[in-house]
Parts: sequence; structure tokens; C-alpha cells
Amino acid sequence: MSEIVNFYERRGENMVKTAFLMVGFVGLFAVFGYFIGYLYPEATYVLPFAFIFSLGFSFVSYYYSDKIVLGISKATPANKKDHFEFYTVVENIALGTGMPMPKLYVIKDSSPNAFATGRGKKHATVVATIGLLRKLNRSELEGVMAHEMAHVGNNDMLLMTVVAVLVGTIVMVMDWFWRIRIYGGGARDKKESGAIFIVLALVIAILTPLIAQIVKFAVSRQREFLADATAVKYTRNPNGLIGALKKISSSREPLEVANKATAHLYFENPLDNISGSASVGKFKNLFSTHPPVSERILRLEQM
Amino acid sequence: MLTITILVVLVFIAVYAVSLYNTLRTLKVRIKASAQEIGNQLKRQTELIPNLVESAKGYMKHEKDVFKMLTDARKQVVGALKSNDLNEMVKASESIASALPKIQATFESNPEIKATVVVQELMQNLRDTSDKVSYSRRLLIDLSADYNTKIVTFPGNIVAGMLGFNEEKGLVAPESGEHIEVNKEEVKTPKVEL
Repeated sequence: MSEIVNFYERRGENMVKTAFLMVGFVGLFAVFGYFIGYLYPEATYVLPFAFIFSLGFSFVSYYYSDKIVLGISKATPANKKDHFEFYTVVENIALGTGMPMPKLYVIKDSSPNAFATGRGKKHATVVATIGLLRKLNRSELEGVMAHEMAHVGNNDMLLMTVVAVLVGTIVMVMDWFWRIRIYGGGARDKKESGAIFIVLALVIAILTPLIAQIVKFAVSRQREFLADATAVKYTRNPNGLIGALKKISSSREPLEVANKATAHLYFENPLDNISGSASVGKFKNLFSTHPPVSERILRLEQM
Repeated sequence: MLTITILVVLVFIAVYAVSLYNTLRTLKVRIKASAQEIGNQLKRQTELIPNLVESAKGYMKHEKDVFKMLTDARKQVVGALKSNDLNEMVKASESIASALPKIQATFESNPEIKATVVVQELMQNLRDTSDKVSYSRRLLIDLSADYNTKIVTFPGNIVAGMLGFNEEKGLVAPESGEHIEVNKEEVKTPKVEL
């Protein structure tokens, strides 16, 4: 007999998993900082400096996220007259959740996809491609828009920005490590008895950026599952979302304006259809911003 | 040492008991909310379906008139061709000629394309309006459920009564009745006879 996991339970599960990932990540960050400090005690300024730089950069991109992403994606504003279904669907979800009505935009691409951006509920922006608006019926569009509004409601932009700050700091420190320290003299002047510790420290220092990326993608995938469950909470209709997922994932068309930087925002992974970006099997899932469509549909059918 | 261990165990048991109590009360509130949501959907159905049926009827009526005129004209032509009688053919073409202005008038005053679009828009608006009311009711249900959860779980339940925070009704819907019951007849496998 197949399991039934309702959306309340899924939401609880996803939020707990996110919390675990974040706590683990901060812990990893602390361990990393400690080992870098151990290896290069004379360069204690590096980590805080990298952190502040990363924070500044991420804060700016968070604050102007809507303008930046809209610029890259060549989106045009949508109004109620030209896009009645799109507009009223989003309007209704805003009504049902008490959230303010977001700004709507359209991308002239026939590949069906959508995303939401903006710093918080008051500055939210939802974008859909012409392809999506044409291919989906109203119930399916409701599912997709509820998923996007769920990202807004769950503050996923903020969370991913926090993750980006931590990842950015680690990557910047490691960049410094490879460029400057490796060639300018390594972890020397430590007593022989500490040699194993040094090796351990180096291994951790090298592995951490990789682990950080994996954690980032894991958090992104959890938030996608959470957005699906929250969408069902908003609409009480899993079938709309299931239908949309099936239609969108069966489209073999690549989304032209998407790239690695904006991929995580989209409803379905827009890089799936671009040839040359393929990785194999489990490895692909580890570094993917979105969970596999089959898994998403399975969970929705359980609701 | 023993006292501390006992205290720790007691604290764990207390925390677990409170958490269990809270979960049970929360689930109860959600169950009530789900029954209200059924009421919400049924009400939407009751409001929407009759209006959609009426619009469809209106649309089909236009179709019917034009359709009838065209069918009659076509019957005459077919009959005339079969009979191979020149007179019949002349009569048929005359009746088509006289029907054409009527058909044209119907199209012009209510061109089929226009009627379809107008009716389509009407149906879209009907659905959207009933969706809007349904979503608004859902917000009422959800907010009431969230509030009720907070006032019956620990620690909210301790202060709620004192400070006058009482249960919110949400969407008042019957908590028993046909819509959440299945009777003997309904559990039988229906026989399909086409």
C-alpha cells in the first residue's frame, strides 16, 4: 500500500532538514576557519576579510535581485488585459495567503518555465515564459504559480543568499590559499609531531569548498520540495502541479536565457535540456539545484 | 548523582509529554480545518456549476439556430442533386439564396467567433470569481486554524483563557453529514452501461 504523507508533514520534514543542513554548514564553516587559522596563524585577517567581501557582494545582489535577474532574463512586464489567466491565478493565490500581489513579467521563450525573485514579500517578482502560459491549463498554472509564491512566502531568496555568503567566503579563502600560500610557502614551521594534524588540516581545507557546494545544492533541493508542499497547502490541489511537472519535464527545448547563475531560481532545472551540461547518474543529482522530477511527482501523489 | 539522573529523566519525560500533547491538539485543529475546506469546495461548486451551465446553454442556442438553417439548406441541396431534377435544383438554390441573408444576419449580429470569445470570457470570469471567493475562504480557514492551534497547545493554552482568547470558528461548516460520510449504496462498484 502506498504511503500518504500530507503537505503539513512534508513541510515540517523539509524545514527540519533545512535546519540540520544549515547547522551542519555553520559547523563546517567553523571547523574550516579553525583549520585555516591553524595552518596560517599569521594570516588571520583572510577569513574575516573574505566574509565581509562575500557578505557585501551577496547583500547587493540580494537587494537588487529582481532588477538584476530581470535584466539578464530579458523579461517584459505583464498586465491583466494581455495575460488574464496568469494575472488572476497569481492574484488569487495572493488573496488566499494574505501576501501582497507580486509584479509579473513574461519572457518571450517557448520553453515552459517560471521563477520568482525579489527581496521578500513586498518586493516579490514572478516571471513566466510565453511557452509556459501557452502549454499549461489554468489548474496547472495555478500549481506552478503557487510553487513560485511559496518560494516568496518561505523566504528562500534570503536563505540561499545566506548560504551563498558562506560558500563565497570559503571559496574566496581557498582561492587565496591556492594562489598565494601554495607558491609562497606552505604550512611550515610546525613541529614534526603535528605533521599528521597538518595533513588533516590541509585535507579539510581542500575538501571544504567541495562539501560547501554539495550542502548548497542540498539546501536548494530541500527548498524545492518545501515549495511543492507549500504550493499544495495554498491550492489544496496536487494534481495541477503534477500535470505541470509532467508537461514541463517532457519539453526537450532548452531555455535560452537561463545559465548557471540563474538556474536555481527556475521552476524546473532549465539546464536539463542544454546539451553538454549532462553529468551521470547519482553524481548529477548531488550537484543539481532541483530534485528529480519523478521524485517530486511521487511526493505530490502521496499528498 | 542519582538525584540528578532522575531529574534529567523526569525533564525528558515532561518535555516529551508536552510535545505529544501539543501534537495531538494541533492535529485536532487541522482535522476541523480540513472539514471546513470540504465545505469551501462544495460551496464553490454550488455557486459555479449552475452559472457555467447557463452560459453553455446560451452559447449552444446561438449555435443551434445557425446549425438548423445550414442543415435545412444542405438537405435541400442533397435532395435536389439526388433527384437530378432541374426544377428542384433551382428551388434549392433559391432557398439557399434566401437563407443566406438570415445566416449572414445571425453572424453579423452575433458572429460565431464573437459569441465564442464572449462566452469564453464569461466562463473564465465566472471561474475566476468563484476561485477568488474560495481562496478568501481558505485564508479564513487557515488563519483560524493557526490561531486555534496556538491557543490550545502549550504554552499558549495557559494564558489564552485568562486573556480572553477564545476559539475562532473559521468557515462554519457542518462537521457531520453526507459530505463527509459514505453510505452503503456509494461503496458498491458502479456498473457502467453505455
